[in-house]
Amino acid sequence: MTIGQVYFYLCAAVALFGALAAVCAKSPVRAALGLLMMVLAVAGLYLSLDAQFLAAIQLIVYAGAIVVLFVFVLMLLGHTPLVGVGDGSPAARILGATGFGAVALAAMILSARNAEPTNFPAALPAGFGSVGEIGRLMFTQTLVPFELSSALLMVAVVGAVAVSKGEKPVIVAAASVLAPPGAAPKPGESQ
Amino acid sequence: MMPSILALMPMLVIGFGALALMLAEVLTDAKTGLAVGTAVVLFTAAAFACAGWMVGPENLGDAAVFAPWLVFDRFTLFFEVLLALSGALAALVAGGYLREHGIDRGEFYAILSFSTLGAMMLAAAGDVLMLFVGLETMSIGAYALAGFRRGSPKSAEGALKYFLLGSFAAALMMFGFALLYGATGHTDLAGLHNALASESLRSPSIVIALALVLAGLAFKVSAVPFHMWTPDAYEGAPTPATAFMAASVKAGGFAVLLRVLLTVFGDERSASWATGWPPVVALLAVLTMTVANLVAGRQESIKRMLAYSSIAHAGYLLVGVVAAIRAPAQAQSAVLFYLATYSVSTIGAFAALVLCGSRGAEVVSYEDLAGLGRRHPAVALPFAFFILSLAGMPPMAGFFGKWFVFKAAMDAGLHGLTVIAFINSVIAAYYYLKVFVFLYMREPAAGAPIAKPMWSGEVVTAIALCAFFVLLLGLAPGAVLDAALAVGGAG
Repeated sequence: MTIGQVYFYLCAAVALFGALAAVCAKSPVRAALGLLMMVLAVAGLYLSLDAQFLAAIQLIVYAGAIVVLFVFVLMLLGHTPLVGVGDGSPAARILGATGFGAVALAAMILSARNAEPTNFPAALPAGFGSVGEIGRLMFTQTLVPFELSSALLMVAVVGAVAVSKGEKPVIVAAASVLAPPGAAPKPGESQ
Repeated sequence: MMPSILALMPMLVIGFGALALMLAEVLTDAKTGLAVGTAVVLFTAAAFACAGWMVGPENLGDAAVFAPWLVFDRFTLFFEVLLALSGALAALVAGGYLREHGIDRGEFYAILSFSTLGAMMLAAAGDVLMLFVGLETMSIGAYALAGFRRGSPKSAEGALKYFLLGSFAAALMMFGFALLYGATGHTDLAGLHNALASESLRSPSIVIALALVLAGLAFKVSAVPFHMWTPDAYEGAPTPATAFMAASVKAGGFAVLLRVLLTVFGDERSASWATGWPPVVALLAVLTMTVANLVAGRQESIKRMLAYSSIAHAGYLLVGVVAAIRAPAQAQSAVLFYLATYSVSTIGAFAALVLCGSRGAEVVSYEDLAGLGRRHPAVALPFAFFILSLAGMPPMAGFFGKWFVFKAAMDAGLHGLTVIAFINSVIAAYYYLKVFVFLYMREPAAGAPIAKPMWSGEVVTAIALCAFFVLLLGLAPGAVLDAALAVGGAG
């Protein structure tokens, strides 16, 4: 086993563990930390794929901004364990998870069995993933999508303003999701 | 230089128009003109798209500077006109509705304009990157419109479901495109098509990519089983936003569905009945039509009924998409024509529904409609008119839309699928006629809340325009049909 393979399996294992922790943890803080672990490990995987820029952005945006935002929200709401989420029948959940897992597994086995006849993945252009190359592309070849993505940012900003201002906010959801056990509000109480 | 600007004009007009409207709201404090202003901006964009159509995309030679990101062919121009008109009609409906219900905030019009711009980008996209930017611009606008009525728990619930499921679907689709990029090294749709058409590339990852992309697209056009968000989002959203989602967002979804399935996966192996996507899309079509029509009959709420009806219409459209494998030109133009008839009928139906109710006395369930035809014939008549068009009654637009799609499917040899679609449109007549029973043959129960119609010049204008288009497409479909056929011939 080469050092590259060891690195890959290490990062992949940490990412899987983090993802499982994010999904399974009862405490929201642990779930957020699991997510952070997953994000860091995936950044490590990006590095091994020659995508340095993506790795740096992953660290800055996801680990640096988004997970910290989650933790802030948890701090403001109080870190009570999650109750009332996913109260659907366990049979349906198990069925859904097994079905999805079976399909994914079948896809992976299918891919592994049929040896790829061509050079999969396709050859990468020179300088792929480096900061300089991405900057050059963004302001030369991809100028059209770059300019039009300003419309995307604009609609996101205006949309965020539109849904956050206006009449009285809805507090029903927050109350029923984050209430401690045994203190669930009566239906219709907070409406 | 000039022709390339002409090609870009519809998008430029909407983008700058939306910014100008936002400034106008801040600077002038005049809210009443915003709806009309938005409609003017969008009608201007439609006029520029028509001008581009008349000049002819083949004469817009310089527009190739936008390649491969934006493709300006007749397909794009047809959708630009359709999307701009749908957006303008929805904006006019919003003008009356938002004022009546006290949520008259200027952001609605800016979001609606930008969302329309996103749908146009989606129709024009010639590259996966552009496709994603357009998809997100359209969808984020639609999420915000769905949650616009912040005080209503239903609006919040619908918007949250739409947002979460929509983001998940977009992620699935991106995963699919990432696999395609990994297998071919291309992100432009034409390059992907060439790479996939070459025989050397037979990889399971292509099949997985196709499945993921199809799932994402099926979500956007709300095909069963990816429809779960639709009734909640349509019911919770303000009615003009529902009309916009049912017409423009669905049209944008079908634009990209046609482009991706017929361009990228249009090679012989992917588009054959034995080895490609057609049986999957046919199954989606059958499920969508049948489930939506059966569930729609059981709804109590009019808006939920119309939501399921819009899902069923997506099913008929998918029949047309499947037919495109054998008779591409004919089937594609049938789908485009159907989208035009469906858009004006459904916006008209929602506009008439807006007119039937007023603040505190909205039309929610069938019961609220009871006796409306006798008490207020002037507002009951338009609603009945558009419902007839949605049901596909002969003199209306809806009939010819269905006729051309079914005919294209028959010509493509899809007899079974056509029969199922036909049976479904008969089932659909049941819940459409139920509206008539309540409008004209029932009286409200004693003490039941009675819907009071409202008055709004904007909504009446929108209804008049929709009615004009419904009659035009039903009685003299020649011009629009020729345009749709020209798209099919060119594509």
